[in-house]
Amino acid sequence: MRLMQSLRGQLAVGVSAILVLLWLGAVLGSAYVVRREIDESFDAALQETGDRILPLAVVELIAAGDGIAAQRILPITQHDEKITYDVRDASGKVLLYSHDADPTVFDHIKGEGFFTTADHRVFSRSAVSGQYTIQVAEPLTHRQTALRETILAMLVPLGVLLPLSLFGVALWVSLGLRPLSHLSVALRLKGADDLTPLALDGLRTELVPIEQAANRLMARLKRALDAERSFAANAAHELRTPIAATLAQTQRLVAESPEGPLRQRAVTVEAELKRLARLAEKLMQLARAEGGAMLGTEHADLVPILHMVLTDFARSSPGRVKAEVPTIPVPSRLDSDAFAVLARNLIENALVHGSQSSVTVMLTAEGVFSVTNDCAPIPAEVLTTLTMRFERAGARSSGSGLGLAIAAGIARGLGQDLSLRSPVAKDRGFQVTLALT
Amino acid sequence: MRILLIEDDTGLGFAVRDHIAAEGHVPDLAPSLSYARDLTATMAYDLILLDLGLPDGRGLDFLKALRAKGSVTPVMILTAHDRITERIEGLNAGADDYIVKPFDLAELSARIAAVARRYTGNPNPLITLGRLEIDLASHAIHSPDGRIDLSQREWVIFEVLLQRPGQIVSKSQIEDQLYSFDAEVESNTIEVYISRLRKKLGKEVVQTIRGLGYRLGMP
Repeated sequence: MRLMQSLRGQLAVGVSAILVLLWLGAVLGSAYVVRREIDESFDAALQETGDRILPLAVVELIAAGDGIAAQRILPITQHDEKITYDVRDASGKVLLYSHDADPTVFDHIKGEGFFTTADHRVFSRSAVSGQYTIQVAEPLTHRQTALRETILAMLVPLGVLLPLSLFGVALWVSLGLRPLSHLSVALRLKGADDLTPLALDGLRTELVPIEQAANRLMARLKRALDAERSFAANAAHELRTPIAATLAQTQRLVAESPEGPLRQRAVTVEAELKRLARLAEKLMQLARAEGGAMLGTEHADLVPILHMVLTDFARSSPGRVKAEVPTIPVPSRLDSDAFAVLARNLIENALVHGSQSSVTVMLTAEGVFSVTNDCAPIPAEVLTTLTMRFERAGARSSGSGLGLAIAAGIARGLGQDLSLRSPVAKDRGFQVTLALT
Repeated sequence: MRILLIEDDTGLGFAVRDHIAAEGHVPDLAPSLSYARDLTATMAYDLILLDLGLPDGRGLDFLKALRAKGSVTPVMILTAHDRITERIEGLNAGADDYIVKPFDLAELSARIAAVARRYTGNPNPLITLGRLEIDLASHAIHSPDGRIDLSQREWVIFEVLLQRPGQIVSKSQIEDQLYSFDAEVESNTIEVYISRLRKKLGKEVVQTIRGLGYRLGMP
């Protein structure tokens, strides 16, 4: 069944089946013709035999005169007689017969010409105004054997040639479909977020429209994604300044207000504004992450980006983030900005939801990035929900609930899955791992 | 410190300007690059806070031009551009720090102080001057007799002298640090503040170099 699901298999089997059927049809047609020719030839031989023997027999019988007993003609050398005959007078009395002739074969033949009995073909001819009649018989098995052997002679080469033909068909189909295979492999190897156009050399005329259509589709998708990303980026940019202005003005209000309810209200507004700013930021990051297109046009080194992110955390959460970063470049196709967002969200998540002990950030030379924090073990059923939006894994809810969703979106854009593990060691801890290369 | 704030959003610009002023610095607010160019042509600033998207051009071009002219004035970018690649571009263009909007004013103060300390060659915010222990970050001064509190303007003048140990600082240089571009300068204000500083920190802390200005002494 799998063979028939493949275009190559379907073509090879189909062409081979048609070839076999045509060949068998040709053999059957040939067999029919051969049979007719064999009948004609054998009939001609029967007739020729009768026509040649009858004059000789008549001369012999007339010379012998009336009243002679039936005479058996002995062969010069002993052999199995294929064609037998007898010569009878007008009353049906047997006058002569060949050495293996069976009179019962001829008993029921009346008249001249060809006759077919249950097991013989008989030719009958009369001479001297019906005074003498010769009947020549040949067993039908003789003809059948000749026909069988002829057909067998045609089929035996077919048995050898057919597998060779099938192999040739399969090979030719495979060679012919190679450009299609190249196109198929090129499309399959493209990641879900790789929207660069296909550029295949030597594509057959029939496949060029497919390549062009795929490239048009990818270009259209890229434009749509770019527009979406651009909107998210512009929206984030345009929102930041008014939020910054409102927050700064509120902070000045807090600083300049006298102690009392007004100041307290201003402090509340400031806290809400900070929450709004964080949420807007995370929503924009989520929109970008889910918009896909996380792959850069070329490989970028992740190490300096991670150092920059770690510097920020060293300032905002001094002493809480420990990092192991290789001293050699770690190239990745993941967009540098996307990696920064990913790293920031995973570290923030670990700082917010982990215990007060340090968070371990690790990037290996092979491009495996992991963030580990200490915490109570997280049940497996909760782990599976953590990458959903607004999921906070428990009672502590100071985070936005979007960090892991953003990280998962970026991972999907890279064609990978976030690996979440808990506990990590000694029945405690939570670890997020992602291969970035 | 005399700080030039280049920001076209008036809501944010005024709030940051007021905050900087409340911290004891002297801010000038420029809503456009052309205005900022005029200001930098006539005044030496200790720090520039630069927005990147301005109505008459890109902040990065202003920064590159500044560095091309050989200016070593610290520049801190305040921007809504949050991408790490934009940050790298900003730092590569010669910025000393990069803060993404929205930011906490307290964080801005800390960053300003850190940049200022880096430029004075001493990244440590704790300075010992004779018997005085000075915390530049919190503006706190401790002597063996206890904590000494300075007013905002007294601190500005003291900080100007601290940043130039052994150097003579002219009265006009101190005035530049004390008053914004459009403020009225009263004739004997500097002398009054110097006198108060001496009273609080000790006579030796500020030396008067007649006809030239003032110099930090050792109390």
